[in-house]
Parts: sequence; C-alpha cells; structure tokens
Amino acid sequence: MSTMSSTGPRARTRRHRNALAAVAFLAPTLALIIVLRIMPTATAAGDAMRSGLPGSLAPPEFVGLEVFGRLFQSESFWQSVRQTLVFNLLVNPLQILIALLLAVLLTRNLPASGLWRTLIFLPSAVPLAGSTIIWGIGLRPEGPVNGLLDLAGMTTQPCFTSPDQVIASMIILASWIGVGYWMVFLIAGLKDISPVYYEAACIDGAGPLRTFFSITLPMLRRPLLFVLVADTVANFVLFAPVHILTGGGPEKQSNFLMYDIYNRGYQLSDPYTSSAELLVLLALMIVIVIVQFRLLGSSDAGE
Amino acid sequence: MGRKLGRGVLAGLAIVVSLLFLLPLLWLFASAFRSSTETFASSSPLSWHALWPRDFTMDNMSSAIDAGFLTALRNSVVVAGITVVAGLLVSASAAFALAVIPFRGRTATFSIVVLSFLVPFEAIAIPLSRSFGEWGLTNTLLALVLPGLGNGLAVFILRQFFLGVPSSLAEAAHLDGAGWFRIFWSIYLPLTKPAMIGAGLILFLFQWQAYLWPILVTSRSELDVAPVAIAKAFGAFTTDYGRVFAETAILAIIPALVLLALQRYFVTSIATAGSKE
Repeated sequence: MSTMSSTGPRARTRRHRNALAAVAFLAPTLALIIVLRIMPTATAAGDAMRSGLPGSLAPPEFVGLEVFGRLFQSESFWQSVRQTLVFNLLVNPLQILIALLLAVLLTRNLPASGLWRTLIFLPSAVPLAGSTIIWGIGLRPEGPVNGLLDLAGMTTQPCFTSPDQVIASMIILASWIGVGYWMVFLIAGLKDISPVYYEAACIDGAGPLRTFFSITLPMLRRPLLFVLVADTVANFVLFAPVHILTGGGPEKQSNFLMYDIYNRGYQLSDPYTSSAELLVLLALMIVIVIVQFRLLGSSDAGE
Repeated sequence: MGRKLGRGVLAGLAIVVSLLFLLPLLWLFASAFRSSTETFASSSPLSWHALWPRDFTMDNMSSAIDAGFLTALRNSVVVAGITVVAGLLVSASAAFALAVIPFRGRTATFSIVVLSFLVPFEAIAIPLSRSFGEWGLTNTLLALVLPGLGNGLAVFILRQFFLGVPSSLAEAAHLDGAGWFRIFWSIYLPLTKPAMIGAGLILFLFQWQAYLWPILVTSRSELDVAPVAIAKAFGAFTTDYGRVFAETAILAIIPALVLLALQRYFVTSIATAGSKE
C-alpha cells in the first residue's frame, strides 16, 4: 500500500481506479466461480425439489423435500453413505500417515534422498484411470500380486471381485498415486521448520520420538491440515476406478456416493434423486472438512 | 555404532519403499512391450521376467495406434495445452489482484476464491453437464477446457509468489506512469516464472487425468480424451490386455516426463502453498 494520505479527491480517484482494476483482473475467475461452482449447486438444489417421470415431456413439478424423504428411506442410499464414509475414514488418514512417515524419513539426510523422493513421487503423475488399469489387472488372480503371495505360500486373493476386499483394493489403487503427491507437500512443510528448534531439543536431550511429537508435529500442523483436507475432498469424489472396474460392486460394496449419483442421474435418468444425493454428498464433505479444521486448525491464531 | 546401524536401517527402508512404488510402473512398461499371454505367464508363477519382457514386441503399440489412440492422445494434449495457457492467464490475473492491487474486501474475496475451488469440480460436474447440454456445448472443445481454467491451488500459489515481490517495484513503475496491466505483464509475470511453471503443472495434471467430465460432455468417440479411450478399450477386450497396457504406458509416461523435467519448480511452488498465509 502507498504511504500517501488516504483522504482527499486524488486519493479517492486512485482508490476508485484500483477497485476498477481489481474487478477487471478478477472478472474471469469470478465468472468461473459462478458458472462452475455456484450455478451447478443451485441447479442441483432446484432439481432436488422437483419430480417428474423419466422421459416424460411434462415439466417436472415442485415437490419440496419429498425427494429427500424418498432418498432417506432408500436402503441402497444408506449403504452408499456407509461405504463412502468407511472408505474415506480409512484411506485419508492412512495416506497422510504414510506420506508423513515417508516425508520425515526422506528429510533425514540419507544417501541419495532426492532419488528415493522422486521414485515415490513419480506414480502421482499417473492419472487415476491409469492407476485403475494397472491395479485392476495387477490384482487379478493370475496377476503379479497374487504371484507374489503364491511365492510366499499364501492363497490367491480375489481383491476387486470380493465384497470383503474391494475397499482395500481401492485404497491401494488410490494410495499408490496419492501418497507421493502429498509427501511432497509435507516435505516442503518439514523444510520450513527452522533448525533452531531441533538444536534446542537436542540440547535439552530430547530423543527422536520426543522431538517428533513436541516439535515436528505441532510445527507441521498447517501443511498437515491442508494436505488432509485436500486429500479428503479428492477421495470423496473418487469415480474413475468404480466406473471402470467394479460398477459399484461386488454386492454394492464399492457403490460410493459419487458413483451412485452418476448412476441415478445417467443410467436411471433420475436427475431429481441424483441431485438430492449430490447435496447430501456436499454436506457430508463440508462437515468432515469442518471437523478436520477443528481438530488440526485450533490454537493456530497466534500466527 | 548404534546410530550408524540406525541410519543403515533407515536408508534400507527408503530403498525398499521407493522400489515398491516403482515396481507397478516397471511392470506396466514391461507389459506394454510383450504379449498379454506372456504378461500373465510371467506373473503366475511369478518370475523376474514380470519386470522385463522375454520377447520384445511392438504389436501392442501398433494395435493401439490402429485403434485410433493417437486421436485420443491429441485431444488430451490439445485440451491440456489450452487449459495451461488460458488457465495461467486467468489464475495469474486473479492472483495479481489479490496480492498487489489494494482494494476494499480483498481478504474476503481471497477467501471466497479459495473456498469455492475447495469444492472439487467432480462434485458438481453432473448438474453442470446438464446445463452444458442445454446450452448446446456438448461435444465441444470449450466444454472440455472450461472446468480446468478455474483452479484454486494455482491462484493460491501465484498469489503467494506475487506477495513476495517487493512492492517498491510496482510503486516505482506507478511513478513512471505505468498502469496495473503493464505492472502485471512486464514486472510480475517475468519475475515469477518458477511459480508460473508450478501452477501450469497443476493445471496440466488436472486436465490430463480428467475422466468423469469428458464422459459427461462428449458422446462422439473421436472426441474421447486418452483416459476415456483407455477405459473403453479396457471394457471392450476381456482377454487381450496388450493394447490397454500400451495405451496406459503412453498416458503415464507423458506427465511423468514432464514432472521429472520440471520437478524442482513444482516443489518450490508447493513449498509456498503449505507455508503460512
């Protein structure tokens, strides 16, 4: 900001001109927010309160919250909610924990750290659809993972075709590309911590575990929060693996909300229930993100 | 002595974990250059040949090309390319306003931008695709590109970098009579090249892996982007995976090479994203 006095006609024209410039620079982004975020949410909210017969030419009529009522009575909807929550409560903490451990390991000045970092980071360049193909085939009964289990004397595992193993298989598929990506963010965060703190801990005679819990973790809270939130919102809308590999099965165990919403909207041509379910997904996601902010973001005010 | 041993164990751990992450990629590339019979023969029972083809063949590559995979690849490149150029302009201008131009409500605007884009695009893609259909945008390049242009992380990273540019530069230019656009274009943009590359990579990776949106807004197969073409091939062939491996290898190698070449820019820009306000 300028040091000029902020009153008087000259300052006012200048303020005015700045505001105009800001609007011009921000216009494309604000337009995108309206078209790509606010409008579709409003469309979904409007559709969720309407109902019409599939394929009917009559305009859909306004039914208030009736669609939600029907949705909440559907057994398969609650199963989708449950499976989405189970998947997310497992995959997000797991990915971030592994990413954190690897980030700590690879900032310890080991020989050729940069190389190991790159190798772990490399899979995150692979698109989700690619990871789907690799693990979809790799986890087949005749694939290399079962070949390895066989060498270890274990029986063949069905993975994606078993209702008990499909979520675990999805976690592997998503984590192979996710862990390295989030690790890079956490490494950047670790490098931001001033060595002074570690020296002080060393002088105080703190061991590595003590140092980790009383210095590294608290100092890393901000990047950890960012990574956890970004990972959660990404995994909440996981779609490609379900669409390509399982179609929500077996026994609807991988019928996550995102896929169910797509399925109702497109396969079953029911945009109304699909929109209602979408609003539920958004609400769930927001609640979980708020909880994460509460857990990790608190006592952060002293910045 | 104990410390040295400890470091040895840690180094061993780092090597084992990195190899675990690398193995699926090696298996993918090996499988792209051999028959799918050989791929499965090498994995049950498992031999080291799972990672290195016994008989190299280009058959999978040529069958991918015959099936029109290059068209899909070109679509992906065009969509991602336009997204990076236009997306950088959009994000950088927003970041410039949010970091450099003083105006009332700047902090609030910044929060709105970041929070709106925190909602993942996929979450609202389905209702949006219906609107795009009504506007006659189905099967257009514009429809494929548009969602990639608004990216909160790109705006965030660029804003962090712009904040780091000394404001005396802009003030001096102001005194010389330069307007905001000139200051943006000839001072800020050239000074923040690493951040521009990092933000460009984020925009690129978003589009390169897009899957849900392309299947929602395209119905003609000549407009399929690479991930969609691969998924279709995977669904269509139940026994011959050779072509699918070849296509997936191409899909994966392009961003991998880009990332390897530009890794340090990516890392420096990310370093600012996690740090304080």
